[in-house]
Formats: sequence, C-alpha cells, structure tokens
Amino acid sequence: MAGTAHPEAMAPPQKGPTRTAPPQMPGTWWGAPRIRTYLLFGATGIVYFIAGTVFLHLVWQLGKGPEAWETALSSLSHPAYIAFNALTLVSVIFVGVRAFGGMMPKMQPRTGPIPVLPAGTVKALIYGVWSLMTLVICLILAGVLF
Amino acid sequence: MTEAAEMMHVEVTRFDPDQDEVPKVQEYDIPIQSDWKVLDAINYIKDEVDSSLSHRWSCRMAVCGSCGMMVNGEPKLTCKTSLADYSGSIKIEPLANFPIVRDLVVDIDGFMDKFRQVKPWILRAKERAEDMEALNEKGTFSQSPAELGAFKQFSMCINCLLCYSACPVVANEPEFIGPAAIALGHRYNLDSRDEGARERNETFRGEGTVFSCSFANECSQVCPKNVDPAAAVNQAKLGAVIDWAKGLVLPREGA
Repeated sequence: MAGTAHPEAMAPPQKGPTRTAPPQMPGTWWGAPRIRTYLLFGATGIVYFIAGTVFLHLVWQLGKGPEAWETALSSLSHPAYIAFNALTLVSVIFVGVRAFGGMMPKMQPRTGPIPVLPAGTVKALIYGVWSLMTLVICLILAGVLF
Repeated sequence: MTEAAEMMHVEVTRFDPDQDEVPKVQEYDIPIQSDWKVLDAINYIKDEVDSSLSHRWSCRMAVCGSCGMMVNGEPKLTCKTSLADYSGSIKIEPLANFPIVRDLVVDIDGFMDKFRQVKPWILRAKERAEDMEALNEKGTFSQSPAELGAFKQFSMCINCLLCYSACPVVANEPEFIGPAAIALGHRYNLDSRDEGARERNETFRGEGTVFSCSFANECSQVCPKNVDPAAAVNQAKLGAVIDWAKGLVLPREGA
C-alpha cells in the first residue's frame, strides 16, 4: 500500500476507542489494466469537451451571419479537424463498447420461467441495434431518408 | 496427504494500533502446498510462524465474506484465491479504502452505517400491513419464480466489501454509499413483496448515492459472486429518475 485514499473513506459515523490506520490504496492502482481503461474512459471527456466547444463556436458563427458561417464551415475541412473528428469517432465507439460491456448478463438466474439470453446473443442484439441506428442516422444525414 | 511442494515469500501488512504510527510490511518464507488457497498461507503463518497476526476468516467456502483482502494489489476473497495463481512471492494487505484496525483487519462500521441507509429489508406500506389478501394460506407472501428471478442475482451479495475496495469513488468520496449497499437496496426495490421503493429512491436521489457512481465498473470486475453491482447501481439510477418523474405528474398515494 503506497497510495492513500481519502482519510475519511469508509470512516465509521462515530470514532471508536481503537486507533485505526488511515485507509489506503494500492500504490500501483493506476497500473492495473482495468484501471487504465477507466482512466482512458475518463480522458474521453476531454475529447467531448473540445467537440462541444467547436459546436458552440459554430453556433456562434452562425449567429454572426452567412459570411462567418461559411468561413467556419470551410475551417472544418482542415486536416487537423478531420483528425480530431476521427479521434471523436474512436472515443464514441470506445465509450459505447465499454458501456455495452456493462450490459452483458454476468449471472444466469437459476430460477424463473423467463430464459436469459446467452451473452453472445445479447451482444449481437446490442451491437445490431447500435449499427442499425448509426446506419439510419447516416442515411438521414446523407439525405437518402427524409 | 500432499507434500510441501515449494516455498513462497509472503509479504503481509502489519499494524498494531498500540505501537505503530503507520502500517508496515513483514515478510515470511513459508512452505506451501499445491492445493492451498491464499487463506491457507495466512493461517499457516498465524498457526506456525507468528501467532500475533490478525485476520478475519470463517467459512472457507466463499459464503461468509469475511476473508476479503488485497492480494498483490487486487481485492480478493482469500479462501477462493489459489496460491497456484501466483509464483514465488505474494503480497497480502488489508482491504483498500477502509480504516485499518489491526494487521489485515479493517473497520467495517462505516459500511454498516451506509448499509442501513438503503433499508435493506422488506418494507410494507402501513395501510396495507394488515392486508391479509396478500398472504397465502400459510400466512406468507407468495412469489412466483419469475418474481424471484427479477432480484435473485442481487441477493447473492455476501457483503465481502471487495467492491468498496475496488471502487475509485469510494476511495475519494467519503459520502458515497457504495456498490454493495446500493445493490442490496435495489434488490429490495425489485422484490415483489416490497413497497419501499419510493422511500429508497429518495435516498438514491440524495447526495453521495447512485449518481456519484462514475461507471468505473470496478465493483463488478472484482465481485466474487458475480452479483454485478455496477448493473444494480445503473438500474437504480434509472429507477430513481423514473420515480422522480412520476412524482411530478402523478398524485402521491394517500395524499
């Protein structure tokens, strides 16, 4: 144990007569693969923050007038922004996959008449719906639908 | 009888509140058997090498939830963790995120207090406490297998506290009620015999409860009983929001 948790973490509501050592965390907490994934998950927030800022900037430029809007739109074709868009896409997919991973049934109920679908089927359903929704949105944006 | 197969280097956290300012590490080299669990190694140290070592254990079959400890930095039930999974040396520490009482024993009073906040028992509405129609001929509440199946997974929690030890929110936010308590509260919300969901959902909407969860999913990763507390927490989030939305548009019962 080398790291320290919050000194009041899991502290009893009233201090007992016995002196206790403060709560600790493993010094290598950040090194565990699943923690690294969690940190990466948190880091995607930075990407979304930037994407949101760009969106607000675009709305602001739209309010300024047609010229400002056109200039803002043309700036989106800059290679740096295209690369950032790709990073945003990767972030969205990563967060989606991580969230869907949490939806997989961890334990089969041993009772009850309703059968729980196998994890593979649930996975196929989730990703199928996700892919279908993405396709529909892309078709709408491309003007094929509606 | 199996013969001693090899030696293992064991690092154990020691803390004597009467003598030590901070926990320290004590090292032991012990003979181990190939079929030993980590708990067997700790018991060997306690019985044969150093009787002053303090640790909790009871059932030895992953049911009582007493022997949770950090094994090489991971929260584990030591009676369920094979020594064969580790080679050469092993590091055993008390559960992370809990005050340490002595050696490998942690103070769980904080958990018990949080646990009580979610009222982990069946609540019946007062006006229906005498409703005999809900009872069957044996005087108990009937429950179909499907109704049982709705919450059974979350009732498998043995309160081993590994989830608290793994949770980064517990480590940093003392008010957080924590995965096991929420999972148990949610378990009763799903129970067809219970009528206290509204009361619990009010607790869940409070500070330091379900919405403090940052979906690290650590609790479900380390849960030795596959309870999936992360699923319970996130289902409880949805339940608390739906209950809140219903409260905006529907009149309260009995109001």
